[in-house]
Amino acid sequence: MDILYLLIPLSAVLILVIVGIFGWAVYSGQFDDVEREGERPLMDEPEAADGPGARQRGD
Amino acid sequence: MSGAVVHASVSSAEQPLRAEGISPVVDDPLELARFTRWEGDETAQRIGVSSLQLSGMHCAACTGLIEGALTALPGVLGARVNAASQRATVRWDPARSRMSELLAAVRQAGYGAVPDVAASAREQRRAEQRSVLWRLFVGSFLAMQVMMLATPSYVAGPGDLAPDLAQLLNWGSWILSIPVMGFGGMPFLRGAWESLRRRRIGMDVPVALGLVVTFVASTGATFDPGGIFGHEVYFDSLTMFIAFLWFGRWLEMRARHRAAEELESALAAMPETALRLLDDGSVEEVAVARLRPGDRVRVPAGAAVPADGVLLGESGGVGEALLTGESEPVPKRRGDTVLAGSINVVAPLEMRVERVGADTRHEAIVALMREALSQRPASARLADRVAGPFLWVVLALAAGSAAAWSVIEPSRALWVAVSVLIVTCPCALSLSMPATLVAAAGGLARRGVLLSSLDALQSFSQLRTLFVDKTGTLTADRPVLCAAEPIGPDAEIAAEAAPLPAGGDAWRDVREEAGFGLSATDARGVEWRLGTAAWAMPTGPRDKLGDGAVWLSRAGRGVARFSFDEQLRPDAQETVRWLQAEGIRLTLLSGDRSGRARQVADRLGIADVVAGSGPEDKLATLRAAKVGGEVVGMVGDGLNDAPVMAAADVSVAMGHGALAARRSADAVIVSGRLEGLADLRRSAVLTMRIVRQNLAWSAAYNASCIPLAMIGWLPPWLAGLGMAASSVLVILNAQRASSASANARID
Repeated sequence: MDILYLLIPLSAVLILVIVGIFGWAVYSGQFDDVEREGERPLMDEPEAADGPGARQRGD
Repeated sequence: MSGAVVHASVSSAEQPLRAEGISPVVDDPLELARFTRWEGDETAQRIGVSSLQLSGMHCAACTGLIEGALTALPGVLGARVNAASQRATVRWDPARSRMSELLAAVRQAGYGAVPDVAASAREQRRAEQRSVLWRLFVGSFLAMQVMMLATPSYVAGPGDLAPDLAQLLNWGSWILSIPVMGFGGMPFLRGAWESLRRRRIGMDVPVALGLVVTFVASTGATFDPGGIFGHEVYFDSLTMFIAFLWFGRWLEMRARHRAAEELESALAAMPETALRLLDDGSVEEVAVARLRPGDRVRVPAGAAVPADGVLLGESGGVGEALLTGESEPVPKRRGDTVLAGSINVVAPLEMRVERVGADTRHEAIVALMREALSQRPASARLADRVAGPFLWVVLALAAGSAAAWSVIEPSRALWVAVSVLIVTCPCALSLSMPATLVAAAGGLARRGVLLSSLDALQSFSQLRTLFVDKTGTLTADRPVLCAAEPIGPDAEIAAEAAPLPAGGDAWRDVREEAGFGLSATDARGVEWRLGTAAWAMPTGPRDKLGDGAVWLSRAGRGVARFSFDEQLRPDAQETVRWLQAEGIRLTLLSGDRSGRARQVADRLGIADVVAGSGPEDKLATLRAAKVGGEVVGMVGDGLNDAPVMAAADVSVAMGHGALAARRSADAVIVSGRLEGLADLRRSAVLTMRIVRQNLAWSAAYNASCIPLAMIGWLPPWLAGLGMAASSVLVILNAQRASSASANARID
């Protein structure tokens, strides 16, 4: 059971790292328009190239 | 830009007045004009009425804080905030204040504010969406992890869990709770701090108190298990409560954003630039704000018309969904009017600009909607007044139960008090009313019915007597030809002349005499006249004057007489029947001779007719109906019956012309369909039913859950779940007001 003394702090650190990654994803616009990404293959090429989703990547 | 709005308010509490992130561009007159209406004359005392989009509001109490912050500034004459639409209307004097100072004052108070033009509002929505999603994730994800770490202490039998291992698990929970408190709890703490600083009580106060007490006590228990806080930790309840709160916020935000987007897509069809045709035939691209009346403009297919104007050529079709609620494109001819904001569907068109900017009908509609959305309805003001005392009672109950439990069982006193604090749900009380009314207004706008006063919904749901104007309301704006009788010896010549195309080359010297009629010369040089009897036959018999008919004459001698009749609107009959089935007594008001009005009333099955009455008579009739205390409504075209409309409890104006006279009308049916009345009634009844349901739910919930929490049956996590679920229920119920009114039709 001694391994718990290592694993619990380790898991806490890991969880905080995951939270950090999610924060980066949210604020870089990955979740701004979730439906649109699914529709992207159905769109015409030029629209996909300069749609709002494409511009947000440049933020 | 991500989160700049949110972060601006973090630092504002301890900073002096500072326009962080507010560009002085908003003070530019051209920029100001996009969200400001000017009152008063151009030179001396000008008053600006500006619309602002707010963010960071959680409750009705926030409206008072923002209004207070704005009115404290020199030069601000008044401020009105609507919690549900998150908009503010500020009346201010540009000589004594600047727009950037106004925005800074709102941020100083701890909220976000941007000018209410669609682009920055969209940006603000995106920032808010990110911020709420982030907080929801931090809360819910970490709540799950904390729950895993807390599980051993729930399932372990006495002595199973080594004390140092239990200590380690508590420590892990504490570490993981810190981000939840920091990101998820901070907005509530800040909100509570702001309202306390202003010696007011807001909805955040009990929530923040609950959070702080739980966190401090659990932290004390973690690091000093034998200390005053005992050894019980409640990190799992704390994190779950915050996650629930944000889940409710997230749902509410999505509903609000969807309503805003729908309204925007209906209204914000205006282009940014226009293609101006120069005299040498070339085209230059200019900002729409730079267009002047008289300019010639080309509108490409698929683009929006930038200004009101007249077509210079044919057009295959123009979509006027915003103005009429009609989605089919309308074919237009040379000389027809096109309106700003309508979409040119088929082929490029050229037009001459007649009205620009705030004078266009599009802007009139936008201003109308903005005004309605920044109102605080009378019923919501009542809820605001109730919310303050309600919160004081909650604080007193929490303190009282803590005191009682410290006698009965001291170890539970703290947690009972926390449960009482977080189980109360005043949001249902204060949020439900404006949220429902705004949702209903959005749903009606999609059907071509614009509300200029949210209170109209309440009045219309209680409507007992409805006065209906005849001309322009029950009947179409344009009369139709019902009889053409040839007269005099020249009748056969009329038959000969009739096939001549009206706009063809056969006619020369076509002249229009305002108020009288037309004159033209045919190929043989004989003058024809069309118009009133006096105009067509200057030497004819005098007894035909003013009979309302149109006369055709050839060289001064009568040829034919055309009489016109008013045509009932196609949906008049079924709408009247539907309203009568609803138990509304209809009375036809008309200035016309009684025979005609009676005829129309009989066709529609309206029993009461007040005909041949001038505006004073109409007013007297309406006042007499109000004496009994019944709710009396008035439907008219808004042009000649404005005083009557103003006297009614609720007034509806029909058609486009009404926009000019909209100040006296509570609602405008822009589509010109009488069916809009039925929509309005149906939506009003549904809205008020939803409001009553929400209030009843709120009362029942608080009355049952607060006692449960006081006797210690609700642990903090369950209290949090209850509060969040209650908010979500109320918000979802409010949204029904928008969808049902949009889908319903007269059967």
